[in-house]
Amino acid sequence: MGKQLFRYSEANKEMFLNSDNITFNDGSVVTPEEIWHYLTVEGPVKYPSAFEVNLYQGNRGSRDETLPTSLKTRYLGLTFSARMESAKDKGKSIAFIQGGQAVDPYTAADTIALRPGLVNQWNNGLEYGNDINKENLRRKKSKEKAFHDMSFEACQTGGYEHVQAGNLRIDVIAPYTVLRCSDVSYGVEAHRHGPNKDVKLLNVDFPLRNQADKPWAIEYFAQNLRRLVKTLDEVTGRTTTEDDLLRAIKLHNEGRRLGTELAELWWSADIPPTNSDDRASLVSLGNLETHGDVQASLSVLKEAKKYIAERVKNGVKGHAVIDNPKRLFILGSCVGINGSRSEDAGAIVVGRDDQWSHCSSLVEEEGDPYYNLAKTTLEYPYEQGIEKRAQWTIEQIRKSRADGVIFIHNWGCNTQAAISRPIVDIIKRETGIPTYIHERDLHGLRDEQEQNRVNAFIEML
Amino acid sequence: MSIQTLEIIRKRLAERPEELSQARKNGQKVVGWTGYNVPEEIIHALGFIPVRIAIGGDDRLVEVGARYASSKTCVFIREIVGAFAENEDPYIQQTDILAFDATCLQNFRAAEVIEYFFKKDVVVLAVPRNFAEDDAKTYFVHEANEFTRLLEERAGSSLDTAVLAESVALYNDIRKTLKSIYIFQAAKDNVISWEEVYDLIQAGDLLDKKEYLTLLQQTLVELTELQQNPVIEADGDSRIFISGSLIPRGDRKLISIINSVGGRIVGDDLWSGILPHIDLDIKEISPAGVALAYLNRTPHAALPYLDLESDRRLKKLHELLSQSKAHGVIYHTLRYCDPFTFKAKETKNVLAKSGIPLLEIHTEYAGSDYEAMKTRVEAFVEMIKIKSEIVEEEAA
Repeated sequence: MGKQLFRYSEANKEMFLNSDNITFNDGSVVTPEEIWHYLTVEGPVKYPSAFEVNLYQGNRGSRDETLPTSLKTRYLGLTFSARMESAKDKGKSIAFIQGGQAVDPYTAADTIALRPGLVNQWNNGLEYGNDINKENLRRKKSKEKAFHDMSFEACQTGGYEHVQAGNLRIDVIAPYTVLRCSDVSYGVEAHRHGPNKDVKLLNVDFPLRNQADKPWAIEYFAQNLRRLVKTLDEVTGRTTTEDDLLRAIKLHNEGRRLGTELAELWWSADIPPTNSDDRASLVSLGNLETHGDVQASLSVLKEAKKYIAERVKNGVKGHAVIDNPKRLFILGSCVGINGSRSEDAGAIVVGRDDQWSHCSSLVEEEGDPYYNLAKTTLEYPYEQGIEKRAQWTIEQIRKSRADGVIFIHNWGCNTQAAISRPIVDIIKRETGIPTYIHERDLHGLRDEQEQNRVNAFIEML
Repeated sequence: MSIQTLEIIRKRLAERPEELSQARKNGQKVVGWTGYNVPEEIIHALGFIPVRIAIGGDDRLVEVGARYASSKTCVFIREIVGAFAENEDPYIQQTDILAFDATCLQNFRAAEVIEYFFKKDVVVLAVPRNFAEDDAKTYFVHEANEFTRLLEERAGSSLDTAVLAESVALYNDIRKTLKSIYIFQAAKDNVISWEEVYDLIQAGDLLDKKEYLTLLQQTLVELTELQQNPVIEADGDSRIFISGSLIPRGDRKLISIINSVGGRIVGDDLWSGILPHIDLDIKEISPAGVALAYLNRTPHAALPYLDLESDRRLKKLHELLSQSKAHGVIYHTLRYCDPFTFKAKETKNVLAKSGIPLLEIHTEYAGSDYEAMKTRVEAFVEMIKIKSEIVEEEAA
């Protein structure tokens, strides 16, 4: 007997068809009709795992049929792999980057920037027809290879396994190294001994420890950004100017502003206008890199803001959100809890520090764009020392009216794990909000053990 | 055969904590430092007493440290954090100021955690990852000047160039003497073991520097009397080279296992061993000059380098292997020590091209893996012994 798959209801089709097109970087558009067809016909055949009704699913795709933009982020996610393949066929350059960094210089240099999660998403989408278990086994197999070639204590392996195997046509590995994570810098270095010699390597050296007020540190990072753009240009064969970078900064500032406004709008509502996953998928559009296409992200983001404003105004509750859910703020590594299962237990995720820290950091538009971008990057709240980071986090917790805080980190994520206790210590002391630290395995199905702990915390709240 | 000066050094180490306590009563300040690129000469020249924070081998302290810095932090750092939590280590107790660097990010995190939980006064030196680039060097010079300024504030006086020159000269003499002594341990019919030299190197982390130099020179005189012309030659011994994560004072598990199964250690490139003392060439007497000399040394594995062929760390490893006439490498990796665990397979493959076998030993400070380690090390030692015997027979 086949697995039970979720299907979107035809009852909401008309409303969806009246929504906006998505416009892509290359000027092409996809209509709501095409999106609906993909989500109801093509997608379930290609990616049954994404539609499977299964408790162990991680981030479940949106089932909020009356929120068209959530379905559009779903569409962008499901077509991600095919779009990246198509971009490569058309000669587009693709770079591997770090999570938690803005991508303005990559956009300026006409390069698609993919953080580790997106690199995995690209690879995952290359094979069709898998159910959740098969998909999980496939991911684990490739991850084991990376652990063997690098270290089994790696938190994540930065796409090493896919890039070195030649599965993904990534041109350059050029993340902001040691921003939030040490494994990525070792991961970049690991590529030097792999069989794939075609991939270019670059450390964009993010200096540590309260550097934002040091002019020499800003200048050093600005110089790293210049080197980054030069390296990207070597791949594309074009010449990126300061004006290109300024234009990219303005474009990304627009995304960051919209993302911030959308988050604040969401927080302002008495009744949560979306569930946890829909909130995350819309707010994270503000960074414009989530779907490997900045214009597509921007067009969905603009439309999303209108829908959320309407819902807030009319007191519409998000899909599957219970009355008066306990509000959770998630901190830590580049992972989160299972949104839908936590909602089943009576909670809702109202914010995360990851992806939010750099979304809420606007770049100055007057003056040297490299210097301005460097300064803003060094000021990312997530990257500050313990006290400063904790104070910013407290501010976000208060704005979001969270009832509880979970600091979650991956197994092997030394850099975030090491400061998890002091951060929650300060939060607890200054807000009185309950907190707990959770360690999880990045590479597997979301298991009962993890959800038991989350549910117990929700129950306690 | 015993070297008398080594006995004196052991005695002086036993007396050192009390000596530090007295010095502090007399107004001197002790700076506890850790980090591959911390320019110790600057600390010394400012009138502080530098003491290296490097302890290991106590799994109980590792557990204590995990309560503050998570169980995912490397065991060495966890033990340091645990030692600050308990504040029973006689050297940690004596520290007034801490100087950490960010060569290894876990070291940097330790600084933050210790500062937060134990209210220690911590000065951190940032270290660039792109250490080979000119702009990284410029950045590091600024950082070194800032590091010096922060220490000057704590010293209540400015750094005097003439005093810095004296400190540099003193440290240069220490390094030079250590290098001369190091040859003796690897020599045929050696009169001093690698283990004794290793302890001797680590004594320098704690003793007064001038006295330490005198003791080293005295040791060298004794050694020269016992063996006038030490020659390093491959012989029938299983000559082992140790590489990888540091092995600080208190941690002798792997070393004792190698000894117990008949292996002879003849060299190392450990951060806690000879490596920091070689290739340090201070060209200019200034904070910038000292700091750059540190950065230009054989780089630490925590600093990523993207071209395998020109990696100076691997070149140095080859050079030291050749000098010591080692037959094989035991590559020591501590739990969650990413700088070295990520490179284990790569290093094995690189050395295999030169016909040098490598055994990775991944361990913690607990004793539970002792027998498992012993079995693996014993097999490795036996294997290289057989291999070296075959080579000798073929040569004959």
